[in-house]
Amino acid sequence: MSSENHTQVSPEDAGNNFFLEGPSSIGKSRAEEAVRLLGELNESVGGVADKSNVEDLLEKDPSYFTSFSIVIVHNLEPKLLDKLSAFLWSRESHPPLVVVRSAGFLAEFFIQFHEHTIIESHSETAPSLRIDKAFPALLDYSLSLDFASMDSTDHAHVPYVVILVRALNDWKEAHEGRPPQTYPEKTAFKNAILAMKNKIDEENFDEAESQAYRCWTETTVPSDISSLFQDPQLSALSLDSPPFFHLLEALRKFTLEPPHTLPLTSTLPDMKANTDQYIHLQKLYKVRAEEEKETFKAHLTVPIDDDLIDSFVKNAHALKILRGKRWGGLDADQARLENAIETSPKQAAIHLSLAAFSSLGTKQPGVTPTVELLTAEAQALLPSGAELPDDFSDYVGEIARAPTADLPNTAALLGGLVAQEVIKVITKQYVPIENYCTIDLVETWTGVI
Amino acid sequence: MATSSQNTDWTGRYFHIDQILDTPGPRTDPSFLAGDGVKDFLRKQAKILVIGAGGLGCEILANLALTGFKDIHVIDMDTIDISNLNRQFLFRSKDVGKSKAIVAAEFIMKRVPGVTVTPYFGKIQDKDDDYYMQFNLIICGLDSVEARRWINATLVNLVDPENPESLKPLIDGGTEGFKGQARVILPTITSCYECSLDMLNKPTAFPICTIANTPRLPEHCIEWASVLEWPRVQGDKKLDTDDPEHIGWLFNVASKRAKEFHIEGVTWSLTQGVVKNIIPAIASTNAIIAAYLNNYFMLIGTEGVYSYTFEHEKRDDCPVCGGESLELTISSEFTVEQLIEILVEKQDIQIKKPSLSTPTQSIYLQAPPQLEEATRPNLTKKMSELVPPGGEVTVTASTLPFSLSLRITYN
Repeated sequence: MSSENHTQVSPEDAGNNFFLEGPSSIGKSRAEEAVRLLGELNESVGGVADKSNVEDLLEKDPSYFTSFSIVIVHNLEPKLLDKLSAFLWSRESHPPLVVVRSAGFLAEFFIQFHEHTIIESHSETAPSLRIDKAFPALLDYSLSLDFASMDSTDHAHVPYVVILVRALNDWKEAHEGRPPQTYPEKTAFKNAILAMKNKIDEENFDEAESQAYRCWTETTVPSDISSLFQDPQLSALSLDSPPFFHLLEALRKFTLEPPHTLPLTSTLPDMKANTDQYIHLQKLYKVRAEEEKETFKAHLTVPIDDDLIDSFVKNAHALKILRGKRWGGLDADQARLENAIETSPKQAAIHLSLAAFSSLGTKQPGVTPTVELLTAEAQALLPSGAELPDDFSDYVGEIARAPTADLPNTAALLGGLVAQEVIKVITKQYVPIENYCTIDLVETWTGVI
Repeated sequence: MATSSQNTDWTGRYFHIDQILDTPGPRTDPSFLAGDGVKDFLRKQAKILVIGAGGLGCEILANLALTGFKDIHVIDMDTIDISNLNRQFLFRSKDVGKSKAIVAAEFIMKRVPGVTVTPYFGKIQDKDDDYYMQFNLIICGLDSVEARRWINATLVNLVDPENPESLKPLIDGGTEGFKGQARVILPTITSCYECSLDMLNKPTAFPICTIANTPRLPEHCIEWASVLEWPRVQGDKKLDTDDPEHIGWLFNVASKRAKEFHIEGVTWSLTQGVVKNIIPAIASTNAIIAAYLNNYFMLIGTEGVYSYTFEHEKRDDCPVCGGESLELTISSEFTVEQLIEILVEKQDIQIKKPSLSTPTQSIYLQAPPQLEEATRPNLTKKMSELVPPGGEVTVTASTLPFSLSLRITYN
């Protein structure tokens, strides 16, 4: 972690920063003081205070910035920001840039990045159990059970997955190989399951009935995954391509073969069952999942770490590819800007207020930013004739009254949000934002454009 | 009273914060006393109580101190654990074992000159109405539903329509992994904490038959060790989830059971997680929630940044702040015991050990022991034998300073 600041702690700084020690820090290097006090929070984090100047570094040694995994800037003056963001955008291998702006109760932040692939997105959707396309060992097992003469305790503890596979098989045999399709058929199917009960309180059959839809809903490749197969990276695959895309190509090939689904999951949700039957079922899934993983691996054309393959296959239903935009893209695209004003007026108002403030500071340095000046500047950022969002004065007024206020509460909230996003970007877990996040602390409100 | 902060101020100290105190913004309330009025109140008169000095509490205390509040009180009944240090940034390794409230107070006072933080190492229930009356605002960073219900009910009961000073705004926040919420409660005016009880996620409860006979998941094995095996082997000895030796015992016992049933996945951390009902906490979410009527703010940070700010409405039949009775329809066959089960389970009621009475008789009292014994035979009686249709039943519990009024109808 590196904190870059060539300034000294001012009396004002000492009053609003918890990681400075009040008056005793005044006059010392702000970077050194902050790094020292932040460092106390975690002994295993290395902190470096760099007192160089961003402008100098950009000029003489820009490789300084590319030595980091991610760069975060706050209220950086526009000229330097444009230079830094352009430099970091110039190569795909350069780190992402988090741009943060704030004044008083208003703030926004944006992450500039090229491409971000996610395996562990921690999606809330569960992978399919493929009950409608039961693998051979599962089908055989369900057919091997003699429900009629089974021990009554066992009967009440047959997992619903097995009940459904069996019920579906029996139905298809009586209906020319078709699953239940019409509403009356589906009702009949559900009733047939309940009719299998020996006693009223056999919850496993109730579970099966409530999950019956899994029998007539075809398991296919989810559309958000199949759309990844169109990714341009796949048609330009080379030895240097990131492992994620080699894995994705292997996955695409896997889905071309029957049963045209993603590789089977080895994770079963909990369900009403006794231990033996549940563990047995779990084993069937585990064995089959391993087999499918081997089939998947055979499609790979480059060597890839086993752990990565494991993780990819496990999360095949939850993969994501994000494509970011460059800083300044929104402001340069008049159509996008106008659209934002129409569909997200509040967010656009916050963004435009901060943009106007930033640009005014460059054009007229030292001049007090009044509501009139800021509004005129914001208007100038828009195509001629375009209207500012409704209630724009509510937002620009906040900046006019507190242009240089770095409030502790705003900093805390902003710091928290940015830290979360940075964690997501670096760990490649969960899903980072792909757009601007605007914040209004008067109404305690956040919104994205 | 705060110590004289003029001695500890320096020129420029309030440069940032004064920009919003000296000048109102476009949406500032017209009654805002910009300038000396508000600064005087903030720095010389305001008295704030922070309940909880944990993840949220640390963030709240730091923000309040830097905002300029000079007289802050903090209550916390816990001591510092090593696992707190990843986010409760007022504590260091040397503080492990000490009172959170005391250490937090000392840290803040040292870091922010001129602030007085008065700690109390104990329970919120130890303090009386007079104590809570002295504050202008109460902010909670608690980790238990029960404590929140208690302070909420206490503040609602404090309100005396003749005395405007008795209305103490309550700000409550909570976080869970990447998710969090913050809300403002104006007792008797806006919705209160009890009004939204049904919004809480039901805690995971495994059926006892699964625990005892048909475990399938590692969690089932751990619950078996803690709920069934511990009492059987250890007798009256109370399980202390903070004692590593107790956790070790549970871990070993759970592992053995898991092995027996061919279940994988029992680990030390899962054992701790299950018995302590641990919900993962991350520092960044705490920072966000501490920092914000529309009185309810929800944040979900798992996919992008999603938040929702809305007005949560008061419930007329809220047992704490509403006036009306709660209508409850039960079967005419229902026994007193069955009604009690509903009161424990129902999402919008959730009273753990309810005592029931009507205007003319005690139906079932949980305490004291003699009265419990005397009213115990009523448990198996039908409610319809004791209470007429449309009759009122008053429900009380020792943990909650309020009573719930039920109007019973039968179907």
